[in-house]
Amino acid sequence: MLILKLGWKNIWRSPIRSGVVIGAVLIGTWAGIFILAFSNGMTKQYIKDQLDTYVGHIQIHDPKYLQENLPQYSISQPDSLIQQLKSYPFITNIAAHSEVQGLAMSSANTFGVSIIGIDTTEEKKVSTVYTDIKKGNYLKNDVRNPVIIGQKLADKLDLRLHSKLILNFQDIHNEISAGAFRVVGIFSTNNSTFDEQNIFVQKDDLDRLLGQPGLVDELVLRVDNIKQAPNYAKRLQKKYPDLTVQSWGDIAPELRYADASMDYTMYIFMGVLILALTLGIINTMLMAVMERTKELGMLMAVGMNRSRVFSMILIETFYLIFVAVPIGLLLAWGTVAVTAHTGIDVSAFSKGLAAYGLSTVIHPELSGIYYLNISIMMGIAAILAAIYPAWKALNLKPVEAIRKL
Amino acid sequence: MAVIETNNLKKIYNDDTVPVHALNDVDLHIEKGEFTAIVGPSGSGKTTLLNIIGGLDEPTSGEVKVNGTDLFSLSESELINYRLHHIGFVFQAYNLIPVLTAMENVSFILQLQGRSSKECKQRSMELLQEVGLKDRLNNRPNELSGGQQQRVAVARALAPYPDFILADEPTANLDSVSSGNLLDMMANLNEKENMTFIFSTHDQRVIDRARRVVTLVDGKINKDEKRDV
Repeated sequence: MLILKLGWKNIWRSPIRSGVVIGAVLIGTWAGIFILAFSNGMTKQYIKDQLDTYVGHIQIHDPKYLQENLPQYSISQPDSLIQQLKSYPFITNIAAHSEVQGLAMSSANTFGVSIIGIDTTEEKKVSTVYTDIKKGNYLKNDVRNPVIIGQKLADKLDLRLHSKLILNFQDIHNEISAGAFRVVGIFSTNNSTFDEQNIFVQKDDLDRLLGQPGLVDELVLRVDNIKQAPNYAKRLQKKYPDLTVQSWGDIAPELRYADASMDYTMYIFMGVLILALTLGIINTMLMAVMERTKELGMLMAVGMNRSRVFSMILIETFYLIFVAVPIGLLLAWGTVAVTAHTGIDVSAFSKGLAAYGLSTVIHPELSGIYYLNISIMMGIAAILAAIYPAWKALNLKPVEAIRKL
Repeated sequence: MAVIETNNLKKIYNDDTVPVHALNDVDLHIEKGEFTAIVGPSGSGKTTLLNIIGGLDEPTSGEVKVNGTDLFSLSESELINYRLHHIGFVFQAYNLIPVLTAMENVSFILQLQGRSSKECKQRSMELLQEVGLKDRLNNRPNELSGGQQQRVAVARALAPYPDFILADEPTANLDSVSSGNLLDMMANLNEKENMTFIFSTHDQRVIDRARRVVTLVDGKINKDEKRDV
């Protein structure tokens, strides 16, 4: 009790100095956690957007298709496979694609694209591109050979709604095939690279031009629990060894890396921030110890043992940190809660963000375990910050400290 | 048995460069209830002697016994504990803890000893009353005069029921009135409680009140005079 009371009174000897340190720790905690939540939210959103736009949770291909990327290496008996897949309770939605690499040609320009044939009804259940249509419609059948293209591609090819677009590619017989398509919709997702490189047509139209109706090069699946997607993919792979079944982490390793590295990145960031705060606290506590050389000498002279002196310095350091940390955590939690709901509009940076597939409205998010772990990190920092000043205090010789007796 | 006994006490500083013989074969026996002044010119070894008797500094050779205990046979933690329970200190610069009140400054020593809050509070109040500060219990050092602070320091020194009190130049920072009052109080305590006081001092007023005056010159006892006061 004595040490607790004395420690508390000691930190308020210099209210401005202690106030500055407490303020720094508070703001550091608040800002640090908010930045973590922002980064975490941005990453989670990026992953979700990519999965929702084109990756899905699981994809199934013929193994040769993944090597050669040619439409003739399609999935055999796709209808039967789809029926079997529908019997799995964890698979919520399935969409079939035919796909070919080709050239998109307008009167202004030519550009290499992936041409994806979709069934709009099924596609809406695995992809959110239909929600990103900014102009026109989502492949309605009121024109012949409708196509939807990304805004970036439209800009490159100088195309507008109802413009004509020639698609040129190799069919399944390795013959050059071409088709004239009409732009019925222009979409703009959070990923401008995706918008530039992918176009969508009616599956029937593409299959006809490829030379094989009912062609399926790719099945995109959504499952009930994305965290279990790798396990589900393994299970399906065992069942269908002649096909390649991949979860989203295998299809887009950069997403898996972003997800996996987020934890480490966040803790490293927080660790660096806490280190900076710790150095400030060490400086403050050193000053406090040096200023009190005589008093510490007196305390040791009259009978305060070294462990009590050490405890007193440690407790003072803890007070500095733990007055600030709970308030910082609370402010951070509140800020994250509010901005998670409202989102933070960063559309001023939309061009740069879109190039990386990032949304312009970020919803920060951070799970409760991080708050606990950061509190523990601050506690460890407090101990480390106290060690050097306490060691300085312990090495005082009472007779020298109070020689000014 | 003497309360304090030093035998062949030597203290040499800088013995590997230019040695300074601060104390040179000092034999001193102080009995219970003595009111002793250690006097001498600057550099004579007064403070060094008090520091060694108080266990704050270690002699180069010789022994110091307090109530029969060889101080420097104790480990560091035992020595700290011994000081806490057996020795009271009054410093020239008072050395009160500025963030604590007068009452808290006195009671914290008792809390270090592990006494109950009730006992700490009761004894602190009694001592502060005895030194004439019953109306200043809740004042911090910066709200007290120099004389009052030194009285708090004396109360603090008395708090842990010490065997003796060491006071190094206790009146050096006080005016004459405060010095006189302080000395009266300490002399009163000496008579009433038979408390042993050992001063190091230049102050003639202290010397005049001392019943024993030990004069140090160049680290040696030059004169040891017992007087009726």
